[in-house]
Amino acid sequence: MMKKSATALLRRIPWVLVVFVAALTVPWLGTRYDTFLATQIAISALFAMSLNLLLGTTGLVSFGHVAYFGIGSYVCGILMKTYGMPFSIALPAAAAGSALGALVFGFFCVRLTKIYFAMLTLAFSQIVWAICFKWNDVTGGDQGLPDVPYPNLDWMSQVPFLSDLRIGGQFYVLTLIVVMLSLVAIKRIIASPFGLMLTTIRENPNRSASIGLNVRSYELAAFVIAGGFAGIAGALFGIFNRGVFADYVYWPKSAEVMIMTILGGIDHFWGPVVGAATLVLLNQEITSYTEYWPLVLGIILLILLFVFPGGIVGGLTTGFAWLRRKAGGRADA
Amino acid sequence: MRLQRLLLGILVASLVPAAASAASTIKIGFPMPLSGPASVYGVPIVKGAEMAVNEINASGGVLGRKLELLTRDSKASADEAVRLARELIIKDSVDFLSGTLTSAEAPAVSTIAKENKIVFVAPTSKTIQLTSPANLHPYIFRLASNTDIDGRTGAAIIAGMKDVKKVATIAPDYAYGRDAVAAFVDYIKKARPDIEIVDQQWPKLGQSDFTPFITAQMAKKPDAVFCDVFGGDFVTLAKQAGPLGYFKMINNRLADGGEVGTTDEAQALGNDYPLGIWSDAYDPVIWGANEPAAHKAFIEHLKAYTKEKYASGWAVMGYASIYALAEGVKKAGSTNSDKVAKAMLGMSFDTPIGKLTFNAKTHETEMGEFWGQMVKDDHYPFAVLKDPKYLSQGPYTN
Amino acid sequence: MFDVSLLFGQFLGGLTTAMFLFLIASGLSLVFGVMRVLNFAHGSFYMIGAYLAWQAVQWLAPALGSFWLAAFAAALGVAVLGGLIERLLLRHIYGREELYQLLLTYALVLILGDAAKLAWGTQQLSVSRPPILNGGFEVLGATLPAYNLFIMLTGVVIAVAGWFVLTRSPAGRMVRAAALDREMLGALGANVGALYTGMFVVSSFLAGLSGALVTPIQSIVPGMDVEIIVEAFIVVVIGGLGSFWGTFWGSVIYGQVLSFGILILPGFSLFSVFALMAVILIVRPWGLFGRPLR
Repeated sequence: MMKKSATALLRRIPWVLVVFVAALTVPWLGTRYDTFLATQIAISALFAMSLNLLLGTTGLVSFGHVAYFGIGSYVCGILMKTYGMPFSIALPAAAAGSALGALVFGFFCVRLTKIYFAMLTLAFSQIVWAICFKWNDVTGGDQGLPDVPYPNLDWMSQVPFLSDLRIGGQFYVLTLIVVMLSLVAIKRIIASPFGLMLTTIRENPNRSASIGLNVRSYELAAFVIAGGFAGIAGALFGIFNRGVFADYVYWPKSAEVMIMTILGGIDHFWGPVVGAATLVLLNQEITSYTEYWPLVLGIILLILLFVFPGGIVGGLTTGFAWLRRKAGGRADA
Repeated sequence: MRLQRLLLGILVASLVPAAASAASTIKIGFPMPLSGPASVYGVPIVKGAEMAVNEINASGGVLGRKLELLTRDSKASADEAVRLARELIIKDSVDFLSGTLTSAEAPAVSTIAKENKIVFVAPTSKTIQLTSPANLHPYIFRLASNTDIDGRTGAAIIAGMKDVKKVATIAPDYAYGRDAVAAFVDYIKKARPDIEIVDQQWPKLGQSDFTPFITAQMAKKPDAVFCDVFGGDFVTLAKQAGPLGYFKMINNRLADGGEVGTTDEAQALGNDYPLGIWSDAYDPVIWGANEPAAHKAFIEHLKAYTKEKYASGWAVMGYASIYALAEGVKKAGSTNSDKVAKAMLGMSFDTPIGKLTFNAKTHETEMGEFWGQMVKDDHYPFAVLKDPKYLSQGPYTN
Repeated sequence: MFDVSLLFGQFLGGLTTAMFLFLIASGLSLVFGVMRVLNFAHGSFYMIGAYLAWQAVQWLAPALGSFWLAAFAAALGVAVLGGLIERLLLRHIYGREELYQLLLTYALVLILGDAAKLAWGTQQLSVSRPPILNGGFEVLGATLPAYNLFIMLTGVVIAVAGWFVLTRSPAGRMVRAAALDREMLGALGANVGALYTGMFVVSSFLAGLSGALVTPIQSIVPGMDVEIIVEAFIVVVIGGLGSFWGTFWGSVIYGQVLSFGILILPGFSLFSVFALMAVILIVRPWGLFGRPLR
């Protein structure tokens, strides 16, 4: 009886709000570097969450998700730097641009399955990279677009606590707001009837088709939504990174975000966030001792695949379930 | 994990005032390509910088404080260089920035330097965009020559070849290659209006297979070529172009402004070096007659420090940029970047290859390089610059 | 404007690239055809083959024939490495979701990449061409270096030998049977495990050999593993995953598209091969010679 109400209580807490408030304290309590890391984590978390809409929710293995992140970065960066547009226009434009890209590419991708789907997403992602790399006039080519301006955050100097922060801290707060709103949106989408359809498709695509679901349309819709959110993450990243560069659209970055998602656990809502935070922090820690971070990452990945396929959150919930069983067993006896 | 970080943050925040007053090192962030094709130049530059730091520290440091060099691998990528520069500033709290090799990295890092108000001395990036009026700011200083000088010197050399009528260019597809070729084309059209540019190829930086570019260019049958492929890429290009008969076809009338005349490049290519081409180096190392005493001493120290038989032609740039920074700090009497930046305007400093001055208006030294033809020399197991001549602005005179 | 010698020169260049890519991609395609595993680490095997060859040359030179010995030793070394990886790691994930297979092989890419850096450093390494193959030939106005001709011939020999083994020998029959229905094959008593290991070893040998053979014409540098694997993927997709001749013709097409792309669309030669891959996947996902895959 006690256990049931505890679980019910845990479920009633608005976790997104709690995490948001906790994360908000970083610029005041931490160093400038902590804020730097926290911004990186927030953006990576959104990127990983967007991928999980495909991976965990719909069961689509996309190896080219960074294309939409990249489109978002470039659209936002170009609009803000070359055309001097405000962030309030550039951000939605970035989301729209990447969603559009996802629509065009996704239309072709969803007609394929499994390995061919993955290969086509990779091919399109490399096409985006090649365009970013070569279209010197628009994207800056190999030099990229350095010096992307910060959004106009003057309004923050009106707000009591925010005015104390440096521009980095202020941008972090903005990022946090955008990311949290996006997470709320994603949560709603997953819980909605549409989201349930996606889960059905993941469980059994053939059965879904036989009960009349237009599997392709649903998958395409998921692809577009995931692309849009990846674009938002990309836009934020371009500003955070102080520049947009073609390197970021190269295919190993798709693998990196996939690792983040799986590290955290694709079956749980917070999995990708946990994975993103863990990977960013681990990266920082390890690279201060050695330059062989890829080696460490590879080993972690192997351990993940063989020992903890459910990721960190998966492992934790299994652990808790095991503990609960043990405790329940004792109580009964 | 977040709770740990928060507590740690509070702890660190309370410690900071105490730390600032202690005598600490002057930190210089030094991102440089240490892997990939560009590392042929990047690694010796770092060694030169390290040697400078050791020498300065051995004689008491600057303003009583020792220098500390924080080297990182930028992989010749603008993205990576920017990330590293920000980490160096935010996490490691460096006082100054130097390093970056390519013309993709330096302009990107320059924007970070501007935003964080930190002096950045770029030793080797040549693109004129780095110090163009649009991008110039108080904190950027450039040691290297620039793409205008490169392109024009190359043009002057080829213009001097009377029987050349058709010219081709091949250069890496980014700011450095594009700006240098633009300068070359501009100058050669003025110097020799009768010359026709028959072909232009743009392989990417880090290209692994140059063959299609080489064969396409050979088909246009140029008489001479302006090449700006450098470092490890030139090694690959030479190894692929040689067997295809590229150098033979143009009778080795190739001018390369990418410092492939350095001992580093010559050693990397060994017997595959296309003898007879024209190239340049900041430091010819093998000077011949009239070698300045300071240079001789520098080379001896360098050989001892790196324990290598033959000195590098690139180390001097890392070495000089550290000395330039040290001089700036001394002159300003402070490590505050605003003061140092002001002090460095118009400042002269000594280097083993001569005295350099930062132009107060353009923040550049406008230095030239030593050009010559690459020949076989029985004293050395690699190609050597014959009679290196210092060329900067102005036409080449035979 | 385009004369014969130019076109022929580009064609020859394209053929060299093609045959060399075929050497690498053939192993990738065979493994996928039989084991349904898309091995990202295939590019890493190629890179390690190159490094091992360089190392062997350092030890063996200036002995006569040192390059050939080095190349063979390198290929053998990578074959052993491949066998170990298959036995210890790969065989545990057959039949699991392809996401896990992709990630396992990607983990290997990360690990092997850094292992190479640890062993040989980060700087560019170089090997000279074997003295016998130093010359060149004039063909239709274009120069064909002897070494390039050697690569082309090797590619053709491997193609023919591979086809012969696959269609005529008992082992080849088993391989083709396993590609069609591995369970049935196991039920019939064939040692499927040994077959898989054998396939992987052969595939790794080919990858290592191509890495060793590329060293005189390209530089050995970190990142060559990541670059080549995407090219190999393009080639097997065009030709058809699992189809041996598909890989051959896919390589030829890739080589020519790259070579002539420079003439037709100079700025976008980079782009043309990815576009080609996308077009094939859209129009005919199982490639030119492949079988429709469920």
